Amino acid sequence: MDNLLIFLTSIRWQDIVDIILVSYILFRLYILFQGTYVFRVLIGIALLVFFQRIAVFLELIITSWAIQGITAVAALIIIVVFRNEIRNVLQARKLKAILWGFSIKTAHTPIDIVVESVFELARRHTGALIVFPGKEDLSETVQSGIPWRGLLSKEMIMSIFWHDNPVHDGAIIVQGDQITQVGVILPLSMRQNLPSYYGTRHRAAAGLAETTDALVIVVSEERGNVVVAKGFSTNIINRKEELSQILLEHVGVTKEEWGYLRKEKIQIGMAALVSILIITGVWFSFTRGVDTLIALEIPVEYMNRDPGMEILDTSANTVRLNLSGSGTLIKSIRPEQVQVKLDLSKAVVGLNTFTITQADIALPPGIFLKGVQPSLVEVNLDIPIKKELPIQLDWAGKLPEHLILAEAKLDTDKIEVVGGTRILKNISTIYTKKIPLDKIKKTGTITIGLAINPASIKIAPGSKKKITVNYVVKRRHKG
Amino acid sequence: MKYKLSIFLIILLSLDIFFSLQALPQTKENSMPTSDSKNLTLFHAVMCEEVKKHVPRNPAIVFSITIGKVFCYTSFDPVPKKTFIYHNWLYRDKISTKIKLNLKPPRWTTYSRIQLREADKGPWRMEITDNKGNILRVLRFSITD
Repeated sequence: MDNLLIFLTSIRWQDIVDIILVSYILFRLYILFQGTYVFRVLIGIALLVFFQRIAVFLELIITSWAIQGITAVAALIIIVVFRNEIRNVLQARKLKAILWGFSIKTAHTPIDIVVESVFELARRHTGALIVFPGKEDLSETVQSGIPWRGLLSKEMIMSIFWHDNPVHDGAIIVQGDQITQVGVILPLSMRQNLPSYYGTRHRAAAGLAETTDALVIVVSEERGNVVVAKGFSTNIINRKEELSQILLEHVGVTKEEWGYLRKEKIQIGMAALVSILIITGVWFSFTRGVDTLIALEIPVEYMNRDPGMEILDTSANTVRLNLSGSGTLIKSIRPEQVQVKLDLSKAVVGLNTFTITQADIALPPGIFLKGVQPSLVEVNLDIPIKKELPIQLDWAGKLPEHLILAEAKLDTDKIEVVGGTRILKNISTIYTKKIPLDKIKKTGTITIGLAINPASIKIAPGSKKKITVNYVVKRRHKG
Repeated sequence: MKYKLSIFLIILLSLDIFFSLQALPQTKENSMPTSDSKNLTLFHAVMCEEVKKHVPRNPAIVFSITIGKVFCYTSFDPVPKKTFIYHNWLYRDKISTKIKLNLKPPRWTTYSRIQLREADKGPWRMEITDNKGNILRVLRFSITD
């Protein structure tokens, strides 16, 4: 119970928005691509990803590797192979339809007109091929259709299949109350068990029915009978009521209008629910998966410092953050996503001690802070000033035994430096770099740089960075 | 006694002229002797390898650690009254030792010395101050190999 409470309180409003947003995107993809091959392939890829995760969980190395490869290739293939279909879906609809619209059928096929027309064609021995698509897209299966978009009527059907009509040999496609295409060429069935008297028209009907979920009505020119092909079955229909019932079942329209709409709504509702469940599951696997720990060394950024002060030194330039989160999120962390920023707006001159808290650390969503090392950071601030300091020569090495370095004169004996007040307060001399004695044999001149220490001290602009030394060497007095 | 003192002062003066040519101070801060006839005046100050018979020998600005010790020689003229001064030996800006030396009128020569150790290599500074801590002169030198 406590765990449940902790879990519920750990959910942020951003997580809810996250799930709802991605669920809606998935749901819209379903609405846009339902009934198309793209949708089937997408489901296939989703299943592959699911199996890959299981394979990883079961530590099946080769299997997971192979599925991962197939998934990657499949994702590429879907874009290449179905580019036209994807373009059609996205181009044919307005933005509002893509984001919000539902494809609930509002125009219903006038079953009675179709049934009357079919049996009239049969009576007259006029061959006909009428396709009623299901949910699948037929554009990849059929060929050579001529766009028609005519309101369906008995006269229209009769005239299309009239012997002298140039398109009478092809099939017509009926969608809703419209004949959308005429003169359509259907794929022929390759089945061997079809009746021998079946001609090209029957084989075409069977071919389309086998490969899609469409229903095809064939009117035999020779026998004058009506055959319905759906799936792998072809049945002769003798009665109008029988054909009417089959068509009603196929187009999903019952006599009660509200019943049809209810079914559609339930289907859409289920799709929405499944989308939410899938994305919630994915969200859980991402954010609440196997808890992984990671330690990152992150540089500390010191912010909002008084412009009149400068940082002399800090006890830590980086801190070690111990982070936890799901393995997926931990792996995806980029260094720039994790920041440690200390606010120095309230810092004063001298030593300031800060405790690094959660508020000072920016983490990507779903990543949690477990600890900071060191949790205390000392920042030494000071006000920069200029100070003139004497220069002292720093000799090193050894002169020959018989010589002494009696005197040295500098071209400038003082230098102006810039540094923190507190640092410069304790410094009274600037030393040169080591001047080697070993090669000195007689009086001479040398140019040498300055050894500025600590590094926070700088030579003031305009001051010399090197000095020239004239030295005098004399012989040692013995005894 | 007066005779000996006169000879000593003549020798001292001549040596002073000699050493002032040889061991000119490194910086301007000690280039001019502090002179005021009414006040205590530091007449001569120098770092040297040895003080023998009140005379500094081998004045220099660099001393090898092998010689074992370094001297700071100071001569005051005049010394208006009995007083004392300090020889502050500083190694890299940090006081290493502070030696109190008594002065007596009318003039006085005195010196201090330190024993050298391996750790003493590096730049040194000698601050000569009066009894109130006022710096009379600064001498800079190095201890080397």
